[in-house]
Amino acid sequence: MQTNLAEWIKDTPEGIEADAILRKCVHCGFCLATCPTYQLTGDELDSPRGRIYLMKEMLEGNDVTAKTQHHLDRCLTCRACETTCPSGVQYGRLVDIGREVIEKKVPRGLGDQLKRSLLKNTLPHTALFSIGLGIGRAVKGLLPDGIGKYVTSRRDEGVWPQPVHARKMLVLAGCVQPAMAPSINCATARVLDKLGISLIGADKAGCCGAIAHHLNDAHDAHAYVKRNIDAWWPAIERGAEAIVVTASGCGTMVAEYGHLLRNDPVYAVKAARVSALYRDVSQVIAQERTQLSAVLKSKADIYPVDAEVTRQKVAFQSPCSLQHGLKIRGVVEGLLRDAGFDLTMVPDGHLCCGSAGTYSLLQPEMSAQLLANKVNALESGSPDIIATANIGCMAHIESGLNASSRTPILHWVELLDRRLA
Amino acid sequence: MDAIVSSISERIRDAAAAKTPLSIHGGNSKAFYGGAIVGEPLDMRPYSGIIEYEPKELVLTVRAGTTLVEIESVMDRASQMLPFEPPHFADGSTIGGTVAAGLSGPRRPYTGAVRDFVLGTRILSGKGDDLRFGGRVIKNVAGYDVSRLMTGAMGTLGVLLDLSFKVLPKPVAELTLRFEFEEAMAIRQFNEWAGKPLPISATSWFQGVAMLRLSGAAAGVKAARQKLGGELVADEAGPLFWRSVRDQRAAFFQSTAPLLRLSVPPTTMPLALMTPHWIEWGGAVRWLSGAADLSMLREKIASVGGHVTLFRHGDKADGVFNPLQPVLAKIHRELKTAFDPENILNRGRMDNF
Amino acid sequence: MHAPLLADFQRITPTLKVIADTERLKPFETDAFISHRALPLCAVLPESEAQVVEILKACNARGVPLVTRGAGTGISGGAIPLENGVLAVLSRMKQILAVDPAARTARVQPGVANAAVTKAAAPFGLFYAPDPSSQIVCSIGGNVAENAGGVHCLKYGLTVHNVLRIRVVALNGDILEIGSAALDAPGYDLLALMHGSEGLLGLITEVTVKLTPEPEYIETLLAAFPSVTDAANAVNSIIGAGVIPAALEMMDKMVINACEKFMSAGFPLDAEALLLIELDGAPEEVAEYLATVEAILRASHAQEIRRACDDTEREKLWKSRKGAFAALATICPDYYTMDGTIPRRCLPEVLARYAQLGAEFGMMIANVFHAGDGNLHPVIFYDAAKPGEMARSEELGGKLLEICIEVGGTITGEHGVGIEKLKQMCVQFRESELAMFHVIKAVFDPEGLLNPGRAVPELKRCSEWGGMHVRGGEIPRADMPRF
Repeated sequence: MQTNLAEWIKDTPEGIEADAILRKCVHCGFCLATCPTYQLTGDELDSPRGRIYLMKEMLEGNDVTAKTQHHLDRCLTCRACETTCPSGVQYGRLVDIGREVIEKKVPRGLGDQLKRSLLKNTLPHTALFSIGLGIGRAVKGLLPDGIGKYVTSRRDEGVWPQPVHARKMLVLAGCVQPAMAPSINCATARVLDKLGISLIGADKAGCCGAIAHHLNDAHDAHAYVKRNIDAWWPAIERGAEAIVVTASGCGTMVAEYGHLLRNDPVYAVKAARVSALYRDVSQVIAQERTQLSAVLKSKADIYPVDAEVTRQKVAFQSPCSLQHGLKIRGVVEGLLRDAGFDLTMVPDGHLCCGSAGTYSLLQPEMSAQLLANKVNALESGSPDIIATANIGCMAHIESGLNASSRTPILHWVELLDRRLA
Repeated sequence: MDAIVSSISERIRDAAAAKTPLSIHGGNSKAFYGGAIVGEPLDMRPYSGIIEYEPKELVLTVRAGTTLVEIESVMDRASQMLPFEPPHFADGSTIGGTVAAGLSGPRRPYTGAVRDFVLGTRILSGKGDDLRFGGRVIKNVAGYDVSRLMTGAMGTLGVLLDLSFKVLPKPVAELTLRFEFEEAMAIRQFNEWAGKPLPISATSWFQGVAMLRLSGAAAGVKAARQKLGGELVADEAGPLFWRSVRDQRAAFFQSTAPLLRLSVPPTTMPLALMTPHWIEWGGAVRWLSGAADLSMLREKIASVGGHVTLFRHGDKADGVFNPLQPVLAKIHRELKTAFDPENILNRGRMDNF
Repeated sequence: MHAPLLADFQRITPTLKVIADTERLKPFETDAFISHRALPLCAVLPESEAQVVEILKACNARGVPLVTRGAGTGISGGAIPLENGVLAVLSRMKQILAVDPAARTARVQPGVANAAVTKAAAPFGLFYAPDPSSQIVCSIGGNVAENAGGVHCLKYGLTVHNVLRIRVVALNGDILEIGSAALDAPGYDLLALMHGSEGLLGLITEVTVKLTPEPEYIETLLAAFPSVTDAANAVNSIIGAGVIPAALEMMDKMVINACEKFMSAGFPLDAEALLLIELDGAPEEVAEYLATVEAILRASHAQEIRRACDDTEREKLWKSRKGAFAALATICPDYYTMDGTIPRRCLPEVLARYAQLGAEFGMMIANVFHAGDGNLHPVIFYDAAKPGEMARSEELGGKLLEICIEVGGTITGEHGVGIEKLKQMCVQFRESELAMFHVIKAVFDPEGLLNPGRAVPELKRCSEWGGMHVRGGEIPRADMPRF
């Protein structure tokens, strides 16, 4: 697409990046096909191509109002469009830039501001969130639907193995996940332990920064990023092989650290190193596949891999952050099959469940429609268990599952952990 | 040939000036079909011959007065065919008449109708203008598709001069199977088969006997035959049967009673008709032989989404073709005027608007 | 702005989505032919046929022109709005109304995506055959308006061969039912006339399509050649041998590289030309064709022949082919795609002349096209930032199309004329023929308010452009077979 960016942004790093991305777009419209919001509304303005055009107009210096903001807000940032785009347009980066710009140009209403600020200031803080969640669980039945539905059931986390192996990897603690499902990282630690790797945490590390980032608060986001880098650095210097992330949503953020701080004189190099060390838990385990097979084989007498009786049907929900953001496709599915699970067909697997970070809280209507569609799709193959790879999706989908026939939903690594127990 | 075109053009201009109708004809094999003939005959047979035929191109261009027999004998040598299997109602049937009448044979539901294979036309309008539409290539979306509009227009929109077709290789293997089916069973079975990837090229049912033709690569036909069962019809009898259906030589069609053509959705169940009937095109065409209250029948068939043509014999005053929705009839009248302002070309041969 | 019309829209159908502010209209100012754009008075996004009727009646009463679009994926600019007109966007009319597996039909609203029809038919072992490259998103209404083709039309036909019935709203609000659920309908073949009419005759509000049984077995072959001519010869030999492949696609080196870079389908990078060949049918039948085709490919100097070993590999090959145009954007973001069709035997000659013209103009031309249909898609690269480059690319494009006419072909096989090829229409058709098109339009749209100025050039414009045919009313080479 031909572009003519406005003077005020043209020569800034953001302007240069945005221009390069816009130039790649040929307006072919393929992205409309896999955009969850366009699928719902059929309105170009709720499509990636429409939003790209809205942003182009803004960056070219044309008047911009809450109308543009409305459509940018309605984007899930699921990045399914990037998977579909044959021209390699990095929509996710562009919308980050666009949102940052519009945040400065278009003031939000008081209610909107309050809501966003509340989310930004509670979710990332595990302790604060835990208190809220604890109270919530205790009185779940008394809570109104809108809030009560996100109060998930807590699973026993079990024991974190001692860090006895020479091979060590760091794990992102996260913010919401330790409060809602501490069992996930614990399960990861046990699985990796069986593969000869010790998973270690780092005090003072916490939220990856994605929540602030997606609420267009670059300042806060950078603060979280720097805090994590500082917290991890000693372990990295001691030779930690990787930084493992079990929530793919957070993973996309850690993968971007290098890019986000590329112009920071102090942190640029460290951030790039962190991003280079980043691995999704599926990548780490897939790399140890030989070892995994051996361990699985040793369990074969208890869990005969090919015996019909023990085969559980699993519907795997591949989070957008995993398949579109990190572009990891088919890896988890392969590991689950290795471990003797049957995967059911999930129609429209490329479409977002509507969780999308804070989206479910900020755009409840759209989110609810996407959730209903996703639940139908996941349950269409009558699975015994639903597995996912991201805490946000897990909580969101659990809230949408039919109470009577509730299919349990777990992180896939928890399934693997059970199989190896 | 240019001289022939000039002279036809001249005749059209004169006729337009004098407002005297012209009746375009080739072999006159379909004179029975459509509204009553009025006007001075305009014989297209002198304008004949193949203009271009390169088998590798899968495209044939011929003059309207060329007989089907001539075309098919040339195509035979290249092992190709007109895929819509045009009926030869008489030996002299021409390609121009075939396109004007828009009639296709038994292969139609499986391979396509004459309109599906028309790529381009050169016509003389009712003003005598020499106009070309479409082309000699398989894909062409430049301009409105006037070539296909000419197909089945009964010569009322223009005198057809040159015609280009997409053609196809002749199937290497062909065989016919016979089944004893009641009517409802035949209709169900034809539709079920049509929903499967089988090399079916024709279907027919009459008085408890269903016939099915398979065409294609030898291996494919053989495999399909295994799946379908039925009784194999002897080598020569098969083609003879299909030719008699295509050309309406069977006794059923040769009766002097009115022959009605009911075009219906293929899944339409038996219509509880008292008169003898013959089913073709996988259930999509039901032929009726005998007297019938045409307007009542039309109402009934319209209710299932079809239409009725008084194909042969009978009283044309009842309307040969199904009457059109008023808004469509208006468009038809205006299109006719656009191409033939003085209404001289085959006046009244299309009688439903 | 057109206040009275906006008031009409709001009054008549209070639930109608109307967009009338510049900020939100901007994304509607162009389709996939982005070198041209125009901001309409307003955009309306109807959700029902009843709303379409009211929109048309209002436009008719106020004498305001109207352009219709679906997903906006057209690449001839046919859906670019008019500054003094309304843009009707039918993308919200996207319900699949019925699938009838027994009769092998589906009845859908115009905004339904092409691929969504196949998806709905798949559980019954059926599919909707026409498959333009943009099939994941382009809508059925637009497919009818453009008579869309695709990679499988050599065997399965174009849209016109796969549609049984449509509902059309005329400018005055009349609803026309064209075609029928039977195999034919009484009267003139208006169904064919509506196909490819580019929105000039009416608005399509419902389409009943024919569904085809999925082939039992599919074999996809990739053949690499040391020269474009070898590949072109192989194409002719395959069809000459009586094999009708389900698809027969060709791409040259530049396209191979671009596709490989972004979609990594495993295309051999040392080839000058690639053929993608798909054979389908009963397994025994396909095996028979496969032997014939492989022998021809070898005899035509194919340097490599590869068979897709499973569905995943096959899908990957097709995804790369269908994403080829957008992938070319990675070479150079500004390009211009042509769509001429030629007699297949002229492929080597025409491709050589294209290359020569490209060199004369100093512009790169890439070729990716439907070889089996002789439908060429040369892509001309230019730099929009350089003054005059776009105009030069259009000039070169025009010359490429004129070559197609010269060898007996046509200026557009499947993309439509839109606003892009109006000039070449003056070359392909004589004044009397163009005049006939205008008369046909007037039958359906006497006021000339539906997509005016598209698809068929005004006669006076042809004279202004100095089109060949208006000189003395006769073409320079009268003997030239043009149709």
